[in-house]
Amino acid sequence: MTAQSQTAPEEAIAAEPAGRLPLLLLLGAGILWLLAAGLLGLVSDIQLHAPWFFANCPILTHGRVAALAESAWMYGWVGNAGLALSLWILSRLSGEPLRAGNLVAIGAAAWNAGLLVGLVGIAAGDGTALPSLHLPLYSLPVMLAAYGAMGVSGVLAWAGRRRSVMFASHWYAVAALFLFPWLFSAAQVTLLWAPVRGVLQAVADGWYTQGLWSLWLAPLALAGAYYVVPKITGKVLPSYEAASLGFWCLVFVGPWTGGRHLIGGPVPAWIASMAIVASVTLLFHYLIVLINLREAFGGGGTALKFMAFGVAAYVLGGAVDAVTSMRGVALVTQFTYFDVAQQQLALAGGISLMIFGVVYFAVPRLAGRPWASGSLVRGHLVLAVLGAALLVLSLGAAGLIQGAALNEPSVPFSEIAERTRTWLLLATAADSMILFGNLLLAANFIQTVACGRRASPEALAS
Amino acid sequence: MKNGFFLFVGLFAAIGLSWAGIVLGSYAQLGALAPYYDDSEAQAFPQRLPGIAAKGQLVYRDLNCASCHTQQVRRPDFGSDQARGWGERQSVARDYIYQPWVQLGQARIGPDLTNLQSRKPTAPDEEDLMEMLYAGQGAMPAYRFLFRDRLIVGQASDHALALTGALRPGPGHEIVPTSRALALVAYLQSLNTTYDYPEAKPAQGGDQK
Amino acid sequence: MSEVTSKDHRVTPAAVSDETLLASHEKLLGKQPDDKAHYRLLPLGILFFLSGLILFSATYLNRYSGHFAPTIFNETQKPSQGPAGIVKVDPVALGKKLFNTPGACVSCHQPNGQGIPGVYPPLAGSEWAQGPEDRVLRILMNGLNGPVSVKGTTYSASAMPAFGPSGSNWSDEKIAAVLTYVRQEWGNKAPPITPEKVAAVRALVADHPAWTADALLRVK
Repeated sequence: MTAQSQTAPEEAIAAEPAGRLPLLLLLGAGILWLLAAGLLGLVSDIQLHAPWFFANCPILTHGRVAALAESAWMYGWVGNAGLALSLWILSRLSGEPLRAGNLVAIGAAAWNAGLLVGLVGIAAGDGTALPSLHLPLYSLPVMLAAYGAMGVSGVLAWAGRRRSVMFASHWYAVAALFLFPWLFSAAQVTLLWAPVRGVLQAVADGWYTQGLWSLWLAPLALAGAYYVVPKITGKVLPSYEAASLGFWCLVFVGPWTGGRHLIGGPVPAWIASMAIVASVTLLFHYLIVLINLREAFGGGGTALKFMAFGVAAYVLGGAVDAVTSMRGVALVTQFTYFDVAQQQLALAGGISLMIFGVVYFAVPRLAGRPWASGSLVRGHLVLAVLGAALLVLSLGAAGLIQGAALNEPSVPFSEIAERTRTWLLLATAADSMILFGNLLLAANFIQTVACGRRASPEALAS
Repeated sequence: MKNGFFLFVGLFAAIGLSWAGIVLGSYAQLGALAPYYDDSEAQAFPQRLPGIAAKGQLVYRDLNCASCHTQQVRRPDFGSDQARGWGERQSVARDYIYQPWVQLGQARIGPDLTNLQSRKPTAPDEEDLMEMLYAGQGAMPAYRFLFRDRLIVGQASDHALALTGALRPGPGHEIVPTSRALALVAYLQSLNTTYDYPEAKPAQGGDQK
Repeated sequence: MSEVTSKDHRVTPAAVSDETLLASHEKLLGKQPDDKAHYRLLPLGILFFLSGLILFSATYLNRYSGHFAPTIFNETQKPSQGPAGIVKVDPVALGKKLFNTPGACVSCHQPNGQGIPGVYPPLAGSEWAQGPEDRVLRILMNGLNGPVSVKGTTYSASAMPAFGPSGSNWSDEKIAAVLTYVRQEWGNKAPPITPEKVAAVRALVADHPAWTADALLRVK
């Protein structure tokens, strides 16, 4: 690819104003939820080694706080930011400004209102205790409708694109837009509206959790990654012919990992075996992503560095998932903090860092001005990466110790708590680092959007 | 991939196939799972939760106890579940058919609770459980908000907790469980899945130790 | 140029426009590798990796899928010869459980099989319990009324209830199990009784009223 602008710089920026406000609102909301989730997650992690922390406060008792943190992170942060960035990318690639901006704004308001009602419901005791679907029943239809409203913009952008051949970002963004309503509604119906009986609840919830990961969270992040990396580096994706195989592998194989956490559980063995086989087969997808996005590791600005760490964490998370799904390894790691560490590697590491990469690229173009402070950007990078690394390593160590101790029948749980204490303290420190880094992002974002200085058009060309 | 139509078909097939395989497939196998009638005991197993225990499960669910406790016993050569006295056999699907909200759990920060009521040598009784909920124990937090500290009017309540030491309420006061605490403890005391279904201990084969 | 340079963290300049991005990737997809219109294989390494993964998956499912059966919860379970999951119940254990069910045998014959002197005859050392199968089966099936002599003592007004079709209606397995238990407990030494034998006797005497000791002694 040669560096040439085919649209004049003014046009590039002028293309944004119509879409500026709804997307910036979504991003702002997402960053707020990120902070809230970070704070709630911090409380939850503190309670692991200091159970008395907020113990007597019903809305912050450990079970509820953990549910709140997870829901706020997934549906608040990734829901808002991932969706905003996917819509942005789809409209950029279509060559037109954001379509149906009003619908996006209404959808954003409804989604966040529904989510807020749901979180208040969890705090008040209506939580469903279903991993990935803690939100109470009454908030879900609103969120589904809101998502549909926001998705309309993406569908219009995709359908009205100028070039008929799709790019990798198209596939991933369309997958996320199209598949989430099906996932969400199927899960709602089978788990809450007309619940299935017995362990089928766990199976359906497992399918939803893994479907959410492979059909929504990962595609939202990868849509951004596949767009931003070639845009910044100016190089064509190295193995682009294989990229579609990687996409189909993720989409077809991903949800089959549904029984991932039911190994040895009260379900027929084939469910867990299918999940193990799918986790291993998914390594192909991670390989394709790695070789396609490897140019991100070449350095070149903070956005690209975020992306590089994000891709590395994403691929590593997939590899760890495949290894820990093996029954011999699961013997030690199942039900321990190690599972949490793997999740955090994939989520706080992979997904978040990749989305940050896109955010740092997109916001100047959306806001029409550069970020207010370069040092806040650098600070966020350092804190986010170091925090994520420390979190994963400390939880992983705690998990291995816990797993080994659980497998010795004579070790009581009080002893296990003692042995894992230091590592949990380190994890809390890591959480604080991540939260502080996100505070820097929020401060920077507010300054940029509210009162940054204008950049010349050339700097923001295309 | 040039054609948008094929993209949609492919995406729909992907989610449809996985849903059909995992959710519908297991529904076909387990959806009609019936209780097992035992001739010699003239009773069907499993038995439904008694009313107050079913309410207690709602409390368990609302407090998200499953974030730290599992309710599934694994087989003997897969971890130390049975060596720790959590159960004498692997949990099977039939154990859960009469549980309105199955709480399998995914983390063992606290012990497994499947057979709390058949722990040896003694199962925890109501007093033990109430005290554990009130005061916390080890990594388990205290759930004081499930109890009320009130003035003793007339006679002390039957349900008042017998606390000692630093936990004792002030003079003339008693700690009484709320209805949620009573329901939760009733639920915990109903946790017992010891019936031996045929599929739980298959007669031939297997690496049962 | 602008005051924001490419080294600045505050904005990341794009190296190419969206049009170029799309166009160059589109060219990659449409490109024919050579004029002879061969298919372009994936790079060999990726192909090997994918094949390896498929091989692993197939092997793993072959060994550990539990034949996709709903009753196999343990993936290392070897296939069973008969219908899956038939439990061979130990008749003595079952018999003991039945004997000790409140309201059944234990209430009268007592847990130690000694009965109550003068009221309920003992089973321990009893010549009836250890005697011919046909006799003891008939006692259980239809009950026993009238005087009966056990271990030298006469019990004049026995009223043993029926456990067959006219009474508690126990199944063949249960009657066989409880009798097997009694015949080997408390020092008794008599061979066990099979459910098939019970079924055979049931076919003969299902409608018979309660027996008397004399009628029983005429049975072989």
